[in-house]
Amino acid sequence: MNKFFTKKLSLISFIFIPIIFLWHPNWLGILGVQPYWPLFWLLPWSILNGSINGLIFGLFLGLILDSLTLDDSFTQIPGLIFCGFLFGRIKLHSDILVGHFRYGLICSFGSFLCGTLNCIQILFSNFSEGNALILISSIKSTLAQVFLTGFFAPFICSQLLRIFKFSRRKLQ
Amino acid sequence: MLDIRRISNSRWWHKKKNWLLFAIFLFLVFVRISKGAFYKDFYYFISKPFWPGQFQKEIVLESISKEYLIKLNLLKKDNLRLRRILSLQESSNDYNISAAVISRKIGSWWRQIILNKGSRDGVEIGNIVIGPGGLLGIVKNTSFFTSSVTLITSPESKLGVWVDRIQINGLLVGLGDDYPSLILYSKDADIKVGDFVSSSPASTLLPPNIPIGIVQSIDETFKSKKTAKISLLAKPHVIDWVQILKANI
Repeated sequence: MNKFFTKKLSLISFIFIPIIFLWHPNWLGILGVQPYWPLFWLLPWSILNGSINGLIFGLFLGLILDSLTLDDSFTQIPGLIFCGFLFGRIKLHSDILVGHFRYGLICSFGSFLCGTLNCIQILFSNFSEGNALILISSIKSTLAQVFLTGFFAPFICSQLLRIFKFSRRKLQ
Repeated sequence: MLDIRRISNSRWWHKKKNWLLFAIFLFLVFVRISKGAFYKDFYYFISKPFWPGQFQKEIVLESISKEYLIKLNLLKKDNLRLRRILSLQESSNDYNISAAVISRKIGSWWRQIILNKGSRDGVEIGNIVIGPGGLLGIVKNTSFFTSSVTLITSPESKLGVWVDRIQINGLLVGLGDDYPSLILYSKDADIKVGDFVSSSPASTLLPPNIPIGIVQSIDETFKSKKTAKISLLAKPHVIDWVQILKANI
């Protein structure tokens, strides 16, 4: 049983992403905005398993998270697929400290990408009303999300990467 | 002649007692002119420790709230009776479901809450969710145990509302922030800051007369429509318990 858990640690942690996404702990946010949780899991997974795996799990994450939200005006799938693919092309850095900060930057970029894609979709779906106020709140959400994701990524991604590596070593 | 002359010491103004009486007289004249102001102020200070305290205040407030509740119920009954006579829409008060908020997304891309009551408890898509203050949103999705509510601040939310003071219908559109926009399709509408907005009697989604918010600011008139920002009465970021209304529209 213990061996099973050790082997499947990465997949077990995958289950927790929708839970944290739903939990939405307010004390971790700014202006009511949360870090973009799926990227914290997707980055170490893609780094270790490559672009194709990253792309597939980006799609899975997008499907799950879209099913949890009610908004039909945009989908998270394109952003997560693109991030999964992009993160798969990143190689591990030999310097641990530099690696930590790299995760922050990469996740910030990924969050910016996903936020921009969401923003564009929302603007397109509300284009007929010509409401500029939606754009302002979207930009605010994107910027707060980019900052928070970049801030938490060095802590969470490093730990997850260590866990995934440990799980793989046991597997071999 | 010298015998009948008074001794200087015996003059009335030489007696302290007379001066005292004179002072009291002057004081009473002052009291009379000031209509007892001095007495009243004096009484204010000496009675201060014996004023009705917090306990008394609570009793009075409780009585007042009971009185308001009774009045409210009577008015509701009257309203219902009149609506039936006029064959207007009515909301069913018989079946409300209390639910707790178990997930809350109110700040970022999503504006939704998830409640701990689902189809098992009789919640249906389209049911109205209200919290302390007024309308929160509409149930958009239900699972066996939970129901997801689109908040009225969501860009997906578009509701018919009623501005009571100027007796006009409008459209309340969420903008993704905490202040939805009220659109009045009349540029002459005399809307003012502080106007009360409730659900429209003409709405096909909501029962009438559910409080929604207050006009916070009025934007510039755009073509043939007037828009205003609405400050919501029910605050979704702090409410933990809500009521699901089985609307009968």
